[in-house]
Amino acid sequence: MHELWELLRDAVPMITHGNPHLMSIVWFTVQVAAIATGLATVIGLPIGLAIALGHFRGRRTLQILANASLGLPPVLVGLFLFFVFAGQGPLGSLRLPVTRRAVFVAQTVLALPYVVAFTAAAIQGLPPGLLAQARALGAGRVQLAALALREARIGVLAGIIAALGTALSEVGAVVIVGGNVYGYDQTLASAALYEANAAHYADTVAIGLVLAGLILVLMGGVSLLQQQGGGIRMRFRSAA
Amino acid sequence: MSTEPSTGQVLLQAQGLSVRHGARAVVHEVSLELRAGEIVALLGPNGAGKSSLLDALAGALEPAGGRVERRGRISLALQAPDLARRTVLANVVLGLAWWGVPRPQRRERATAALRAIGADHLAGRAATTLSGGERRRVHLARAIAVDPDILMLDEPFAGLDAEVRASLLEDVLSALRSDDRATLVVVHDRAEAWALADRLLILIDGRLVADGTPRELLERPPSPGVARFLGYDGCIRDGQTHTLLTRPPHVILDPAGRHEATVTRATPTEDGFRLELTVPTGRLYTVAPLPAPVVGDTVRWRVEGGARFPAAQTGPLDEFAMLRT
Repeated sequence: MHELWELLRDAVPMITHGNPHLMSIVWFTVQVAAIATGLATVIGLPIGLAIALGHFRGRRTLQILANASLGLPPVLVGLFLFFVFAGQGPLGSLRLPVTRRAVFVAQTVLALPYVVAFTAAAIQGLPPGLLAQARALGAGRVQLAALALREARIGVLAGIIAALGTALSEVGAVVIVGGNVYGYDQTLASAALYEANAAHYADTVAIGLVLAGLILVLMGGVSLLQQQGGGIRMRFRSAA
Repeated sequence: MSTEPSTGQVLLQAQGLSVRHGARAVVHEVSLELRAGEIVALLGPNGAGKSSLLDALAGALEPAGGRVERRGRISLALQAPDLARRTVLANVVLGLAWWGVPRPQRRERATAALRAIGADHLAGRAATTLSGGERRRVHLARAIAVDPDILMLDEPFAGLDAEVRASLLEDVLSALRSDDRATLVVVHDRAEAWALADRLLILIDGRLVADGTPRELLERPPSPGVARFLGYDGCIRDGQTHTLLTRPPHVILDPAGRHEATVTRATPTEDGFRLELTVPTGRLYTVAPLPAPVVGDTVRWRVEGGARFPAAQTGPLDEFAMLRT
């Protein structure tokens, strides 16, 4: 207990004095979380909608894959991406490993299944008559998608919250694909791992506190939006 | 309820329409037409294939055989009155958007439809706070607001208690009536059909077994099966070759009546007691006001009306419940 107190005493000034190294990690982490969650949402919503509303071969397989991906260890995802983007890999020409872009890609891949699986499940849970009635009155694909997303918004937002949490705190893939290079492509989570391995425990605690605060602020904010009856207004084409 | 058949333009014509669910045939070669200005009720017991026929007529279900010609657009209100989590007005506006009504017209038309169906006071309410009857009202307003050429309603009064249903029926009737529109309403309850329809279609086991005005069918049911479905539950031998089927209003307790019967069952109803009368040639049912005879009493009776069928069609009296169409 005494040791923890001493660590906190050393860690807190790093935060309050705005340690430049720490602040650069915070900024990069926010960028990674925002871009990875944004990309996962942009890619994942149409896939989730297609699974829930579409009639095509392989629809069930796609949903099983999305659901199974929720349990995939990030280290495995990192290894997979590393071999895909490595010099001899199929996408080796992109020269992605040990770059910041690699971190964005890794976190997007990890966040994507959450958006897909939650969106599909939330829409499949809607009263069946609602979408059938919209079809019966002539709703087109875009109108159906807008209706489905709006009605299932609580579940869809839960998926986005889970994706954001993954993008903020998962470390396994980032370390393998990005290399966890000090001062270059570290996120708060991977930096905490780095400092812990180096036995810099005060730095680890400082980073950990900031990460916890960031998670609380970002995810709390999205959760508040979710809980406000209307949630985020997903108006692709407003009728009223 | 009009007794004259509509002479309006034919807006929908089905010929030899069949529907299958997998290997099971649920609708068998149905032919019918709907004309502008008429309200037609499609009536049948549970599992008769009413909703499947409606979906096939509306184009929401691919028929296994036959063809449907439609002149104009169809608005189909499904059985489940599921509404979006918005206000009532926004739900009706949304329906108009799906239909393709230009944005500036939507609000006004939605308000008019809600008013027509007696739901304008609900316009600002969240759909999630509505009662079952109110949801049905809004669901109907959404289907009517688009002003279709052909309107199809699948059991619009399902699950409502008698009082709410009666009030909704009253409001719906004037909203449904239009000289330019053909309306087909699937109903489960006969009372709804009497209240709404100019013409009745009766579907039993996927087959269209009767097509006529309510009065025609009630007074002269075309077959014993239709008669039974329309409430002809009394059945006595009428001479050597015929059977007489009766509804309770046809059987009158009359001390001066020529025939005697024994009361074998007495069930309380709102209007008195429903009596089962056993006679040597069969069984009759009537409703007697209070004070009604009790089980074991001997009563005298006469019959006014009823439907006569050759005994060969009705079979043994004990098997009346299993009559074929």
